Order: sequence, then structure tokens, then C-alpha cells
Amino acid sequence: MPATVQEELSTEDRFLQAFEGLSDEAKNGTVEAVQGRRRRAIEQFEALGFPTNQLEAYKYTNVAKALRHEYRIAPAEAAPQASTEEVEALLLPDLDAHVVVTVGGRYSEERSDVGALPNGAFVGSFAEGANAHPDVFDAHYGQYADFESEAGDPEQSAMTALNAAFAQDGLFLYVPEDVALDKPVYALHLPSAGDEPLFAQPRHLFVIEENAEARLIEMRRAPEQREHAPGSFTNAVREAYVGAHGHFDHYIVQDEGAGASQHTTFDAYHETESVFDTLTVTLSGDLVRNNLTITPAGEFCESHLNGLYLGSGEMHVDNRTIVEHAAPDCVSNQLYKGILEDDATGVFNGRVHVHRGSQRINAYQSNKNIVLERSAQIYSKPELEIYADDVECSHGSTTGELDEDAIFYLRSRGIPAERARAMLLGAFARDVVESVRSEPLAAWLTDEVGARYGAGQALGVGS
Amino acid sequence: MPLLEIEDLHIGIEDTEILRGVDLNADGGEVHAIMGPNGSGKSTLAKVLAGREEYEVTQGSVHYDGEDLLEMEAEERAQEGVFMAFQYPVELPGVSQQNFLKESVNAVREAQGKEELGAADFIKMVREKSDLVDLDEALTKRSVNEGFSGGEKKRNEIFHLAMLEPRLAILDETDSGLDIDALRIVADGVNQLRDSDRAFVIITHYQRLLNYIEPDYVHAMVDGQIAKTGDKSLAVELEERGYEWLSGDGVAESKASEGNASENGAATEPEEAAVA
Amino acid sequence: MSTAETEYLQAKADQEYEHGWTTDIESDTVEPGLDEETVRLISAKKDEPEWLLEWRLKAYRYFDRLTDERDFYPDWAHLDYDEPDFQNMSYYSAPKEKAQYDSMDEVPQELLDTFERLGIPLEEQKALTGVAVDAVMDSVSVATTFQEKLEEAGVLFMSFGEAVQEHPDLVRENMGSVVPYTDNLYAALNSAVFSDGSFVYVPEGVTCPMELSTYFRINEQGTGQFERTLIVAEEGSYVSYMEGCTAPMRKENQLHAAVVEIIAEEDAEVKYSTIQNWYPGNPETGEGGVFNLVTKRGICKGDRAKISWTQLETGSAVTQKYPSVILKGDDSVGEFYSVAFTKGHQQADTGTKMTHIGENTKSTIISKGISAGVAENSYRGLVKINEGAENARNFSQCDSLLIGEECGAHTFPYIEVGNPSAKVEHEATTSKVGEDQMFYCHQRGLGEEEALKLIVNGFCKEILAELPMEFAVEAKELLAIELEGSVG
Repeated sequence: MPATVQEELSTEDRFLQAFEGLSDEAKNGTVEAVQGRRRRAIEQFEALGFPTNQLEAYKYTNVAKALRHEYRIAPAEAAPQASTEEVEALLLPDLDAHVVVTVGGRYSEERSDVGALPNGAFVGSFAEGANAHPDVFDAHYGQYADFESEAGDPEQSAMTALNAAFAQDGLFLYVPEDVALDKPVYALHLPSAGDEPLFAQPRHLFVIEENAEARLIEMRRAPEQREHAPGSFTNAVREAYVGAHGHFDHYIVQDEGAGASQHTTFDAYHETESVFDTLTVTLSGDLVRNNLTITPAGEFCESHLNGLYLGSGEMHVDNRTIVEHAAPDCVSNQLYKGILEDDATGVFNGRVHVHRGSQRINAYQSNKNIVLERSAQIYSKPELEIYADDVECSHGSTTGELDEDAIFYLRSRGIPAERARAMLLGAFARDVVESVRSEPLAAWLTDEVGARYGAGQALGVGS
Repeated sequence: MPLLEIEDLHIGIEDTEILRGVDLNADGGEVHAIMGPNGSGKSTLAKVLAGREEYEVTQGSVHYDGEDLLEMEAEERAQEGVFMAFQYPVELPGVSQQNFLKESVNAVREAQGKEELGAADFIKMVREKSDLVDLDEALTKRSVNEGFSGGEKKRNEIFHLAMLEPRLAILDETDSGLDIDALRIVADGVNQLRDSDRAFVIITHYQRLLNYIEPDYVHAMVDGQIAKTGDKSLAVELEERGYEWLSGDGVAESKASEGNASENGAATEPEEAAVA
Repeated sequence: MSTAETEYLQAKADQEYEHGWTTDIESDTVEPGLDEETVRLISAKKDEPEWLLEWRLKAYRYFDRLTDERDFYPDWAHLDYDEPDFQNMSYYSAPKEKAQYDSMDEVPQELLDTFERLGIPLEEQKALTGVAVDAVMDSVSVATTFQEKLEEAGVLFMSFGEAVQEHPDLVRENMGSVVPYTDNLYAALNSAVFSDGSFVYVPEGVTCPMELSTYFRINEQGTGQFERTLIVAEEGSYVSYMEGCTAPMRKENQLHAAVVEIIAEEDAEVKYSTIQNWYPGNPETGEGGVFNLVTKRGICKGDRAKISWTQLETGSAVTQKYPSVILKGDDSVGEFYSVAFTKGHQQADTGTKMTHIGENTKSTIISKGISAGVAENSYRGLVKINEGAENARNFSQCDSLLIGEECGAHTFPYIEVGNPSAKVEHEATTSKVGEDQMFYCHQRGLGEEEALKLIVNGFCKEILAELPMEFAVEAKELLAIELEGSVG
């Protein structure tokens, strides 16, 4: 063995070292709820390390293996900038919204255009929000994406703990009791430019109080002039709280291009008779792993979680969803659809967990995949874990190629084969696209899917 | 030259010969009915004409308007005016009828050198043509065939026929599974679409459809061949006597008299068969 | 759930295990403990050839290495039990008088009575016609019926021990070829210490003239049962094989760790049915009961081969098994039909693995789980379509029925698709017995118990229909007994 003077640091060790090297400001410059957890969080991460596919929850996705680079770990002192033109080019046409922008995981005051908000509401930076609403942070931060009590699944907490150790900035959305946001919030997440791969750890908190309402559209985009340094990795954590009778409508589009990877954790908790909807659309990226956990904690909640993943190239996309039915009389519905081509890999692992005593749960889970090429792979693992007898729960999973009979039917009506395939792929994605309640987003998504498979705009939603 | 010219057509699938030399000519304005028992090859003929690829043509030819039809892709055939109403129309979840038909009609029109249909004209056409087969207009707005009843699917096929205005329309057992009212509606639709330029090839198991659509020619298909061709009276005869008497090179009379009732359940008495 | 249903469940939970008695027969039981000497002792008692002893020792050494590792115990299943103490059980127990009987006349009356009491008479004149039985008590085969008649057809059906002596080449060539001893902890343990089991060989082109059946009975206290079954079906042959199991009530847990291997050559078909009714433990305390941790796997080696697993699992404190099929030959078929009924403190984590390798391979999985009391019932299954498995098809359906508020029913399918021409469909539902169904039955004059029995029977119908006729009746009765006390 060649003698090496210095022992090479493991990836984990680099993070531990980076943590110790954090400035006082970075460690302690925020509210107690955030800074008070850092030490315990890094210890938790040290104990667990990055998830490998030895863990059941990461059986098909080896996060540790994807981390091959030397990252810039320490949080940037100030937000890197993006130009007004860049941001404007990435707004959704016809969407009138409160616009917030993050660059490299930091909130960009200059590029955000929040505008007037209803009384008491806050839309803006996580760092600033913490100082403005310490009581809200005390009550909610770290309560849902809680690395210390991921009781059901400690395997999942390493990435959450790592984020909690480093969390500096991101978005904070606060809608107080009885307030409805008049416009949706549009959040644009841009990568930071540069040659060195960045390991960003944005942290977002969304609090929709009792009888309040909000819609949030998040898009991670990487415009051409702002490509990631190859290997960039984002470890994002989101938490959402929806109070009784509240309604939170959430969308996230992941399209940061090849060369970038991300691990996202989203824990949502909602109270009696509230509605929580979320849609995850993954269009590009190297490795994308989404951990989504929803806990309808009060009676008569409604949760909808949908997903659409279009894999191409070497993309690896893994959606893990958990619905914790901790209260009776709730409805949850999930529909995840994937189209995989080239060497792409798609993973769906959904779990519906009905707790003891949570009677009269109606839970439905569906995963459908189309594989276009031999080199593409699908792993589907829908799970039901049920401890109450008066329930209606079901799941389904299908994987196959496009239906040859359907293609023939279209061709025999004069539609060329290529076009027939495109139409059928668009049709496959259609019910997920139709679940979008924001028209500008639905239109944008329809165009994206159409353009991807060469179907143009003819697949118009609802026409 | 007839519009459709089938000569000595032999078709096989995986070493089994299904069609064993079919000859048939059909011209504009004519309605041809092809009747035959299950497994006689009549639906195979329809599928081959429409362009299904799993069948192998081992011998013979098919010309359409003078062109080699068998050389054409399925969509090319449709664009050139060949239409097939499917026996089992496919459900296309998520594909709206409107978009589907807009694509389809314009693909056909483009190939025929016609102008693309504008939105208003298209909507007008949908309304007119759906009336023709009494198709609930709501169905023209849903996904293609998804959740349609059996009768609605068949009517939808005739609606597509009306929309695409083909020169050769092949109806593959369009009558199967229809109750008498639905049958009448489908037949009315077809009758209204008859004109001097359009040929119909109607494949059916039963004579009852032909009570409503009067054919010019009736072909009896048995064992992959057209065993007999006649006028509409042949259909009645086939219904009464079955097909046994036609099999085995026309010496079937003796066979039929051995007491084989007709395959499709018509209570043909041996005596009757013998008399005929 | 209505009060009547709850009460009824209580009554059901109170119901006693029917086969809980013991047989008073002298046994030759080796001292508890496991080391190389134990393995040598078992091999010597069975007068085995050197190659088999070597194989056992290799398996033992592998097992030993495994148990040295930290966290060696496989705990990924949805099961909660204390792992067995491998040093505190006996690995060999046989009725003392003689390990092998040359004819039925030599079998002691107590043994014959034991099996007769279980409803399995071993004297051929009393036996079910059309079914040949191999009866295994504790670790040893005590009798095999109808051997002569089978021999006429060329079918070999005998205890594993006999096969080792009489057909060593067949055994040596095939054993461990489907389930290698390195497969898992219990496969390794079984390979080291297996004491007996059944062997079936069906020659080319032969349709086995009767159903083959093995009955397993654990009698002795503190023993584990480790039998192996090996079925070889040559080209174009057919055999239907069936196993049944019972055990006395014991306060401590008994370990049953079997290995079953099936080899189906071109155009061969093997149908393997199981009615598993080991002692489930005390329904109230959960004390005692059999740990049924079994490895079952078949390979469709040749084109158009077919292997079909059908199981009715009603017994055992803990059941963990995944009867699997490797679909290697083109156009080969794998099937898995299962009813798993857990009540009291029973736990089951069962399902199948279908590995598609050949082209046009097809698999069907129908699983019905019924859970009552404080039981836990999980379906876990893998459908894997390898890259070369062109046009592979799988359909899986897993339905769970919950009876009572304290049980659990879970579904964990794993679907891995590496070929786009494959079509894989999985569906699962979990629900309770529908109130509208119950009401409908009531309206037609049926009481709570009768209605439930009817509905559950209907729920399981398509599985029971897969059992050989001779056992379908038994299975139905067993299910009825499991389900309620008074209605017959």
C-alpha cells in the first residue's frame, strides 16, 4: 500500500470538521429553537452517517455513494446574486404571485418581490422570520422534521439532523389564524454559480394557522447561464403545519438539470378538518430523493400527495412517502406516476400507516410507471401498515411499456406512430397534471410534458 | 380498377394459416358483407386490411386505389382513406376525444391535401356527426372510450367513421353485443354515410345487422376462404342453414345432412339442410 | 365492529388448539447444544456417507460464522419475538425403538395411533385412496404408505434418509442446488442439522398416479424440527405434493426450520400445497407456540415448466416464509396462492418471491391475510423482472381482512422491473368485513357467526380451490374451526 502522509477524511468527517469550523454568527446568530438543536443534531448525524442502501428505507438509493465530491460546506456569508433578467425569465407566465427567490439556499432580498400581504402574514427569509416570530419558531421549528424523535423511522433522520446542524436560511411562510393569502406565493430556488460544488442546506418552515389558507408554488430551476458546478448537492428540509380548518396547497417542481443532486425532506402535520395538498414534479437532476411524511393528526383531514417523475439520461429519482394516519375519519390519496427512458431509474416507496384507533380511514395509494427503454429501471414498493379494522385502504402499482393496442388504434385513425406515442405519454401524465389547481402552473407543466415527448400543446388540459 | 382489390390472399400467424386464398373486389358505392363462423378468418382479414403487424402475408396481394396496401403503415392507410371500426375499441385514458379527433382528422386531411380544419368548423363537425349516431355530446368531451358502455363504444366508432370520411370503411363485428335499439342507431348512421364514392366491408356473425344495412354482396367465409358469394338472400340462407354445407369444396350437402346443427346456434333441422 | 362480533371474537380466541396433546413414546433425543460434534452425531446416527457429513459441516461452519457477527439475526420482517437460543435446544429426536421401519407391521402402535388421531391413518387399507403419506414424527420419518404402487409408476417417494441411502447420486446432485446453505441463517442451520424429510423423484413423462403427502408432527419437548424436502420432476412429468403439520401445546417455543427445494425440468409441473397448523401458542398470553421459519424455493429449470405453491397458514406463533419460484425456462409459470390466518398473539410475515429470468415467463400471486385478536399479519413479496425476461407478466393481488381493533394487517410488495416489455400489476386492499355484507346476511336470517364464516370463506375461496380435492375439505374445516367455535 502506498504510504500516505495524511489519512484521508471520510465524507462524514468533512462535515463534522466543517461544523466545528462554523463561525459564531453561523452557529448562534439566530433564535434558540434553531441554534439550540445544532450540537445534538451533528451528534446524531455522526452516529448515523449518510444513508447507504443497507438501510431498508434507502434500499434502492445510495446517498452516501452519490457524495463523491469535495463540497463547499460552510454556509456562504451573504446570498450570492442572480440578475433581475434571470429571475424574470423564470417566472410563470400569467401568475400573479408574491415572489420570493433563493440563490444557493440563501434568501435573496433584492430579487424577491413579496408585495403587500394581508395583516400579520409573513412571506420571506427563514433567518429574518426567525427573529421576527421567535414564538412561532418555538412552537413549530423542528417539531415535524424532528431528527430526535423520528420514532417510526430513525433511518430517515440522518439527513434531517445534518440539515438541522447547519440550517441558516431558506423560506418562512406564516399565515396567521383566519387569514387567507390573496395570491399564491411563488418561490424560485436558483443554484449559486461557481466552479466548486456546493453542498447547500436550505431550511423552510411553513405555518398556516387555524382557518388560514395559502398556496405555495416552489420551483427549483437551473437556467442555462447558471449551471451547477458538477456534483452540487442540496439537502433541503421543509416543515409544514396546517391548523384546524386550514388549507395549504403546495407544489414543488424539481428541474435543476443534470449534474446536480438533491435530498429533500418534507414533514407536514395537519390538524382537524384541514386540507393539505402537495405535488412533487421531478423533471431533471442526477440523484433526487424525496422523503415526504404527512401526519393528519386531527379528525376529518384530507391529504393529497401526488407526484410525476420523468426520468431520462442517468437520472435516479426516488420518492419515499409516508402517511401517518394518527387520527380517525381521515382521507388520504396518493398518485405517483413515472415515465423512464435512457438509463434512468425510478423508485417509489410509499407507506400508509394507520395507527391503532384511527378508525374509518380511507387511504388510497397508486403508483404507475411506463418504461420506455430496456436500460431504464423501476422499483416500486407501495406499503400498507394497518392497525385499525374499520378502514378502506388500497394500493396499486403497475409497470409496463406503452400499450401496443392503443398505439395501433391511434395509428389506424391516421396518427403517425411517433405522435401516437407522444399523445399516450401526455395522456398518462394527464391526471397528475390535472390535479394542479393553479392554472398558470398547470399550463406550464402541460407544455413541459408535451415538449419532452414531442406532443406540443395539443395535450391541453381540460379541453 | 376497383377501389379494393384482394387477390389470392394467404395470411398466417406463427405457422398457422388463417386465410387460404381470399379474392374480393369492392368499389365505391358498394356494401359488401362478409359472414362466417368463429375462426373462419373474417376478423383476421379486417385486421390485415387495417395494418396489424403480427400477421404474415405468405401469398397474394391487396391493392387499394391501385396502390399496394400491404406496403403501407397503418397510419398511412388511414390517411389514404381506409377506416376500420374495431370489434373491441381500445380505451385511451387521459386522451380526450376532442384532441384525438382534431389530430386524427387533420392528419387525414393533410395527407389528402386538404386544409386544416379550424376550431369553429371542427366543433360544428363534431356536433353534426355525433348527431348522426345519436352520441351524447358529453362523450365527445371525455377520454376516448374510457368508461363507455359497449353500445357507446360501437357508436363512437361510427362517429369516428363519420368524422374521418374514409373511402373504404371496414366494420369488424360492429353489431356484436348491441341490443336492437343500439343496432338500429348504428345501422342508421352507416346508411346515412353510404354514398357513391365510399365502399363498405361489413364483417358480421349474424344476419340481423343486414336487415338494417342492405348489402349489395354477401360473402360467406369458411376456413379462410370465400366459399360463396351472393346477394342479400345468401345472408338469410346462411342464417338458416349455417356454414357446414359450404365447407369442403362445395360437397358439404351430405355433411350437413349428417345432422350437424348450425354452429352459431340457429336450430337448423337436418331435413331442411338436406332439402336445400 | 359490533359488540356481537367482539364477543364472538373473544369466544374464538378462547377456543382451544385441537391438536395440543402429546404422545407418550420413548424417544432417542440428543442433549441440547450445537457444535461440530452434534452435526457428526446426527450424521452418524443416520449412517450417512462422507460427502453428506462434509456438506453438513460446511453448512455448520457457515452458520457458526454468521452467528459470530454482530446483528447476525435477520430482523427485517414485521415480527417481534425473542430469537431462539440455538444452544438450548436439542437437534435430534426420534422414536426410540427404531429409526427406520421395514414394513408397516413394525411401526409401534402408539405411533400409528398418533397419526390416526390426527386423521392420517397409515395403514393402507384405512388410508385415503389416492394419497400416499410420509409421516414424520419429530425429526424422523416413521412410515411411508403406498410406496410399492408408486414404484410401479417409477415414482420415488420416501424419507430423505432412505433416499440418501438408496439414491445417493440423485440426492447429491440436487440438494442445495435451489436453496444453498448460504442462503440465510435458517437454511444454513437446517443444512447442518436436518434429520429427515421427504424425497420425491418423478421420472420423465410420468404423471404421478396419486397425491403425495407428508405429515409433520413435533412431539418431543425442547426439540427443533429441521426437515428437508426435495422434489425433482423430470421433463414432462407431473406431481402434486401436500404437507400438513401439527404440534402439542408446549409452554416454551419450538423451532421449525425446514428447507424445501423443487426442481422442475422442461414441461414439468409441480404443485405444492401446505396446510400449516402448528401450535400457535396460548391465545391470551402468547406463551409457547412454534416458530415456523422456513425456506421454500423452486426452480422452473426448463421451458414451459410450472411450479405452484398453495398454502393455508393457520398455526404457529411466528411464521416467516416466502415460497418462491425462479422462472428460468422460457414460458415457465410460477404461482403463489396463500391464506394466512392469524389470531391471538400470532404473527405472520409471509409471501413469495418471483424471479423472472426466461422470456414470456408468467407469475400470479394471490394472497389473502386475515388478522384477528392482537395478531400481526404481513404480506411481503418480491417480483423481480430481470433484464432478459422479455414479455414477462406478473399479476399480484393481496387482500387483507381485519377482525377487531387490536390486530394489524400489512402489505409490503417489492417490485423491481428491468425490462420494458414486462407488465407488472399489483393490487392490494385492506378492509374489515363489510357491514353491508353482514347486514345482507342477517337480513337473510344468518347469525353473526354464520355470516362471518360465510364471508371469510368467500374471501378465501379462490385459494382453497387451488388445494387438491382431498385436502380442500380439510382446509375448509380447519378454517371454520379457526374462525368460530360452534358452527360446523
